Amino acid sequence: MNRASFHRNRSQFRLGFWLLLAPIVLWLSLLIILPHVDMVLVSLRERIASRQYGFSLDNYTAFFTEPLYWNTFVRTAVMSIIATLMTLIIAFPVSFYIAKVLSGRPKIALFILCLIPFWVSELVRTYGWMILLRETGLISGALQWLGLAGQPVELLYNDVAIMIGLIYTSMLFMVVPLVTTLDSLDNSLIEAGYDLGGNGWQVMTNIVIPHAMPGIMSGCIVVFMLTLGNYLTPTLLGGKDSLWFTEQIYTQFITRFNWEQGAAFGILLLILSSLIVWLGLKLTKQSFTRVMS
Amino acid sequence: MSDHAVASATEPRVQADLACTRLSKQFGAFTAVDQVSFSIPRGAFFSILGPSGCGKTTLLRMLAGFQQPDSGDILIKGRSVLHTPPNKRPVNMVFQHLALFPNMSVAENIAYGLKRNGVPKRQHAALIDEVLTKVHLPGYGKKRIDQLSGGQKQRVAIARCLVLKPAVLLLDEPLGALDLKLREQMKIELKRLQQEFNTTFVYITHDQSEALVMSDQVAVMNHGRFEQVGTPQELYYQPKTAFVASFVGDSNQFAATVQAQTDQTVTTVTKRGVQLQCYSELALPPGAPVTLFIRPEVIQVGVCKPDPVPDNCLAATVLRILFDGARSQIQVQTAEGAVLLAALPQTADFQALTPGRSVYLSWQARQGLCFAATSPQHPGAVP
Repeated sequence: MNRASFHRNRSQFRLGFWLLLAPIVLWLSLLIILPHVDMVLVSLRERIASRQYGFSLDNYTAFFTEPLYWNTFVRTAVMSIIATLMTLIIAFPVSFYIAKVLSGRPKIALFILCLIPFWVSELVRTYGWMILLRETGLISGALQWLGLAGQPVELLYNDVAIMIGLIYTSMLFMVVPLVTTLDSLDNSLIEAGYDLGGNGWQVMTNIVIPHAMPGIMSGCIVVFMLTLGNYLTPTLLGGKDSLWFTEQIYTQFITRFNWEQGAAFGILLLILSSLIVWLGLKLTKQSFTRVMS
Repeated sequence: MSDHAVASATEPRVQADLACTRLSKQFGAFTAVDQVSFSIPRGAFFSILGPSGCGKTTLLRMLAGFQQPDSGDILIKGRSVLHTPPNKRPVNMVFQHLALFPNMSVAENIAYGLKRNGVPKRQHAALIDEVLTKVHLPGYGKKRIDQLSGGQKQRVAIARCLVLKPAVLLLDEPLGALDLKLREQMKIELKRLQQEFNTTFVYITHDQSEALVMSDQVAVMNHGRFEQVGTPQELYYQPKTAFVASFVGDSNQFAATVQAQTDQTVTTVTKRGVQLQCYSELALPPGAPVTLFIRPEVIQVGVCKPDPVPDNCLAATVLRILFDGARSQIQVQTAEGAVLLAALPQTADFQALTPGRSVYLSWQARQGLCFAATSPQHPGAVP
């Protein structure tokens, strides 16, 4: 190849490269970066008079000085962490069973069974839980029929109901990465673990879980982010007192029409949740690139 | 067929490290292991050689405890281990793909078994150093598994098992993934390790050369049964069945019919009408269909007709020369049209041998084996 054609090929390669990159660059910049930059700008201003704005950090200080906001955020974060861990605890045995115990058709069937609830919208799924849990719902009725309750029982509008809804909604996002990583674990490693004298628990903690760690972490990150940012499930299942941070943001934007405060909350949610994820990765000694690859 | 194996094993000898009696395993209608009995004396290198699907892996997995036999018993050092789970059995296994734990260093891989077996922690370092020195990898403890070459991984996998001082080490075709040169080295290395640790090795393979080079005893397995158990020499020179004759070493095979038998010398006629003298320990009635096995290296190739004329002598023409150094062979065609392979003599007379030359092929009756042609399941005949 001579120099000229080499250069021509190179420039062609570059053009193709940029053309292929264009959609993702446009998508990222127009729909993610620009709105967030604007959000930051909105959050850093203060309305002085009608249509007059000045720079201010008041929206951020309000978050830290007003106990309701701060407490709501802590509550949301703690509930999300608990929901994530509980999803992991429930999803891990399920995923292990799908990936390592089953094979062939039953394996695919069970995997699809985990997937099917996600064919209906989150709203419908949440209403499903409401039908089960409300005062005149199925569970309340069953309890009365069995004589375990003398009157209708309200199972909705409490933290347990929120937790159930969140775990149910998140399950797939935990099962998929877990099944994928567990599938890639060579069965002979498990057998070697037993062969060298390990019992079930030792094989699980020494071999299976270290191997599945990237899947566990990526599942946890996705579930945590989805839970923290969930609006529908806490509102519908938790009712008016659910105190979810996304509700605060909604209230600021829609009810109070205080876009500045809402934008500040949005940015804070992004920063604080990223911080929690970073902490989680640090504590489990996992690297973000490994988890996401 | 497996009389020999059964006879030596129905009453396991006291010093046997591992003995099996009438071990069977079925998967649905398929019998993977069919009434296999054997016993392995202490410190022996025992190979199970067979084509893929013959049940050797199932047998090994039953010994390790990963599969439960349908019937029969497994005795390790005289005690039944049928109800002992794999993590409690005094056997360890080197897996086909080694199954080294990738999230652990070399030392941690070796320490895993020590920890699980309750060896006090302060002894670990010394034991690990000792075993790594024995497998010729001193100072490799801190390395990660992905920093090792294929042969080094092999040694770590063996060290990880041998540090636990098992009664029996099971090896599931561990050399399969290595390239040819390394495989040749590892054969010698494995034999050395087996002698140095003085541990009973049970090695399964489909590669006859691995089995023949390393083993004290080889069992040839086919369709879930042991066809023959013996030393490599016995299997090669005195195969008991047609399958063993065809599976171990190369052979020229001919279909023929028996004409007469005096003692152990059988006179047969091939389909092309050539009369050949063969050897059989079993009585074969006249007219019975048989398969003849003549190894390429027993055929004497001569330029002139040999005198006195041996039991079998055929005139033939050289078709082509298959040069492979010391393993060179010639492909020849007899006057009757049969094509066979013969070893090319490494003498000056044959340096200039060219296709088209006439040669004489001769061998003694004792060197040609014949077996009743009952089952048509022999793997690809050579000529």
